Amino acid sequence: MRKRLVAGVASSVLVASFLTVVGYAPSQAAPAGWCKQITVLTNRTDIAPTTFTKVYGPQFTAGPGKGTTVKFESFTNYNQDVRTMMNTKNYGDVLGIPVGVTPNQFPQFFSPLGKASDLSKTYRFVNEGTYNGTVYGLAQTGNAGGYAVNLKDWKAAGITTPPATPDEFIADLQKIKAAEPSVIPLYTNYATGWAPTAWTNSFTGYAQGPDATNIMTHDKAPWTAGKDAYIGDDLLYQVVADKLTEPDPTTTDWEGSKALINKGTIATMFLGSWSVSQFQGAGPNPQDIGFYPIPVKDPKTGKFQTYISGDIKQAINKNSKCQASAQAWLTWFEQDSGYAYSQGGINPYLKGPNGESYTIFDKLGVEYKSLNPAPAGHDADNANVWKASGIPQDGSLEQAIIDTARGAKSGSEAAIFADLNSKWANGVSSLG
Amino acid sequence: MLKERYKRQVTPWLYLVLPLGLLGLLTYLPVANMFWYSTTNWDGIDPHKQYVGLANYAKIAQNPDILHALFNSIYYFGGAVVQIGLALFVATVLSYGFKGTNFFKGFLVFPFLLNSVAVVLIFRYLFQGPGIASHAGGMDYLLQHLGLGRFVTQWLGNPHIVNFSLAGVSVWRYIGFNIVLFLGAIQSINPELFEAAALDRANRWHQFRYIILPGIRRITALSLILAISGSIAVFEVPYIMLGGANGSSTFVIETVRIAFAENRVGYASALAVILLGIVLIVTFIQRNIFKDEQVDLV
Amino acid sequence: MKRIDTFKVIIYLILSVMCLAMVFPLIPLIFASFKDHQEFYDSQPLSPPHNWFNFHNFYLAWTQGDLVRGFLNTGILLAISLVGTIMVGTMTAYAIDRFDFKGKKLVVWAFLLAALVPGVTTQVATFQIINRLNLYDTRWAAILLYTGTDIISIYIFLQFMQSIPRALDESARIDGAGHFTIYFRIILPLLRPAIATVIIIKGIAYYNDFYTPFLYMPDPSLGTVSTSLYRFIGPFSANWEVICAATLLVIVPTIVVFLTLQKFIYKGLSAGAVK
Repeated sequence: MRKRLVAGVASSVLVASFLTVVGYAPSQAAPAGWCKQITVLTNRTDIAPTTFTKVYGPQFTAGPGKGTTVKFESFTNYNQDVRTMMNTKNYGDVLGIPVGVTPNQFPQFFSPLGKASDLSKTYRFVNEGTYNGTVYGLAQTGNAGGYAVNLKDWKAAGITTPPATPDEFIADLQKIKAAEPSVIPLYTNYATGWAPTAWTNSFTGYAQGPDATNIMTHDKAPWTAGKDAYIGDDLLYQVVADKLTEPDPTTTDWEGSKALINKGTIATMFLGSWSVSQFQGAGPNPQDIGFYPIPVKDPKTGKFQTYISGDIKQAINKNSKCQASAQAWLTWFEQDSGYAYSQGGINPYLKGPNGESYTIFDKLGVEYKSLNPAPAGHDADNANVWKASGIPQDGSLEQAIIDTARGAKSGSEAAIFADLNSKWANGVSSLG
Repeated sequence: MLKERYKRQVTPWLYLVLPLGLLGLLTYLPVANMFWYSTTNWDGIDPHKQYVGLANYAKIAQNPDILHALFNSIYYFGGAVVQIGLALFVATVLSYGFKGTNFFKGFLVFPFLLNSVAVVLIFRYLFQGPGIASHAGGMDYLLQHLGLGRFVTQWLGNPHIVNFSLAGVSVWRYIGFNIVLFLGAIQSINPELFEAAALDRANRWHQFRYIILPGIRRITALSLILAISGSIAVFEVPYIMLGGANGSSTFVIETVRIAFAENRVGYASALAVILLGIVLIVTFIQRNIFKDEQVDLV
Repeated sequence: MKRIDTFKVIIYLILSVMCLAMVFPLIPLIFASFKDHQEFYDSQPLSPPHNWFNFHNFYLAWTQGDLVRGFLNTGILLAISLVGTIMVGTMTAYAIDRFDFKGKKLVVWAFLLAALVPGVTTQVATFQIINRLNLYDTRWAAILLYTGTDIISIYIFLQFMQSIPRALDESARIDGAGHFTIYFRIILPLLRPAIATVIIIKGIAYYNDFYTPFLYMPDPSLGTVSTSLYRFIGPFSANWEVICAATLLVIVPTIVVFLTLQKFIYKGLSAGAVK
């Protein structure tokens, strides 16, 4: 009899032991909201184990962290992995808001950081992380639109000034190809998924002006000649169709490409100013890395222009039990860590120093601009149109453009754009 | 006496508490929930689930990416057929018991035991074009040195070839499993049949056709069924290799992406229901065609 | 009789070619692991390394790749899951084979039906359950899944159980043993060969599994061998020779186990397929 009971109990041992894990969360003995350790999710797989863990973490712990240590978790497929985690309550304490989370979802996932009217006195790019007047995410650095080049390669092809129009851009790449056959004129980093999205996103405002985002939110055919969305994706198509990119996009290697552009094997990479410091640091030739403005001049002034915008927004997990520690980290990271400066970016902290990627811009007299925020109460409109349209934002759209341009996928550029326009129109009508 | 009978009725249930509990929790409950979720447009997080009837299923038929992913299963099934054929050949030959059988067996079977990620990395390096190194990868190198240089292609970059390459990886990986199965089945055929055949001076081909083939019917049927459900449920090799890009995506990759990265649990559940349906239908057909299946375990 | 059996020769030839095909993909990988970066970049994939004792890549892979933690975590997972699956499997087999009770047919059918459902199809819903139990991003998610969805071991134990004569049960009962004693003292020890088989095939399956730890345990400190190796790819993609070394580190234990336990493995694979 006893032994039968033992059998029954023994068979529930597994159940019992994990029920204890299930039922109870670790309790914090420290003051409310402070934890011994917080977890920060980041996409920087390159510097997470080094700079973050060995420099920023300890500096924070010794300073405003009051002994709280920071654990960094980095992900190569950041957006996908973190969005999967966001299906649960466990997605770190501080994280970058992944692509695809719309502003109206911010309150569901993240803790409010303050009112936009207050925080915009301290930080830039506040409206990008705002919903209904409350801020949920702060940009970790600021980027200027443009693209990275290897100055030596461009010079060797006889190019002395940046191209001013998309056609000039293509012509310049062709010059590079002719002058230096062993150099890849433009490397798409297709395999990462996120890198090619710059083509769709980086041209906003250049042809259509600072209100471009709001215009696009209500435009039923943004992929039409002359409009921002069209210019970027059309340029991508042309560049690939003219064979000015790498021969096998599917095996592109992001980390390796940094060294290659530093070396000069790659001449151009269409990524924002945040990439410059990474390319400079990837080899012995930091002086060869330059940054050129988007090849679309302001139609009114005839000058080069650049739109600055926030990088990934840092937010605090609403479900985190470490709200105070997380907030302390976030504030320190934004204001005192020096991250933005080290990335050569525009400092999101108004009082902080700006990075130095833009010396060429100053020489060219490039105009700095910002996109207008959405009208009050309509913060999430643009994001919701994207979502409702079903157009992917994870890179698969641009990958499809590349595949079609290189003949790997059947179809035509016109067909792609017509499809995009019709999907976008659906999204627009969903706004009602 | 009654106490004894009572004990006999209740005791087994005690032993089954945990197994049945787990079965219910992790197999039946998810299946039931799956059907339920598929009729909603739930995003996995929202506490409220909105009923949409069969709208998700209608959407699936119109989604070209899903259809393409489903189409890719054919490559894997084709690979599996080749795999089964080759395995049958090898198993037959190994059953003759020539010297060195164990040696060959070892080499042919070991890939089956290798870690999924390791297998993909092995082939990713093999299929590499020039880029990470100054020269092309092992595959291209080999072809060039065998004078077959014109076959060099972008094994992963060429979307017409990529699925063949991935199916090939699958064959490399799983053929050992089939070989062992077939070999076991052949070796369990009554040796008297072979002796009788030898007396009748039947040659090896006749032996194969009239003794081996019938004797392994069950295992062959099983292998084909596993091939079908396996080719639809492919996930690891294409996902780790390319993340499903370049037209190499599969049904399960799409389901996982839609469910977790796009937060469309309802839609993904509809996909999963379809997948389950296909597998069940195929299994049902098999059980009816090969009625000599011993299903009874009690 | 020194007649050359051409049939035999052809067979040997074909088999040899096939063996080469199976081993060939590993050769560039092995060579690459011993080359340093410059040599890796400059040399041909099939040219052997200059220095077969260059263990630097292995050192890097071991210390920087979280592989140690991967092995540890996989070890823990294996240990607990195997105990769990054996417990569950033997208890189920004991209950089904040794008892006749009301509802037995239903129970058997429940297991049979469950065997038809491939795990991948239910993941979307299973995820929700694991999440609801607060097990997401913990070891227990994987342990629970491995233990609770393993029908194959139940079959193996059932098959084997049928060959353990009931006479042993009877004689034990005459000696006054209760059900549990019979289960524990008589059945379990006799099931040892089946247990060994299950340990081997399930052990290999868990060691190689990618999907479950990938989906349920994103925390790198919980990484298994599979996910740790997978995470290698991003940061080291500029240094494939280190990735190759890491891959070798991962497959060497499997090969060693294979060579030493070949016979068991063959038996296990055959048994595992019998549904």
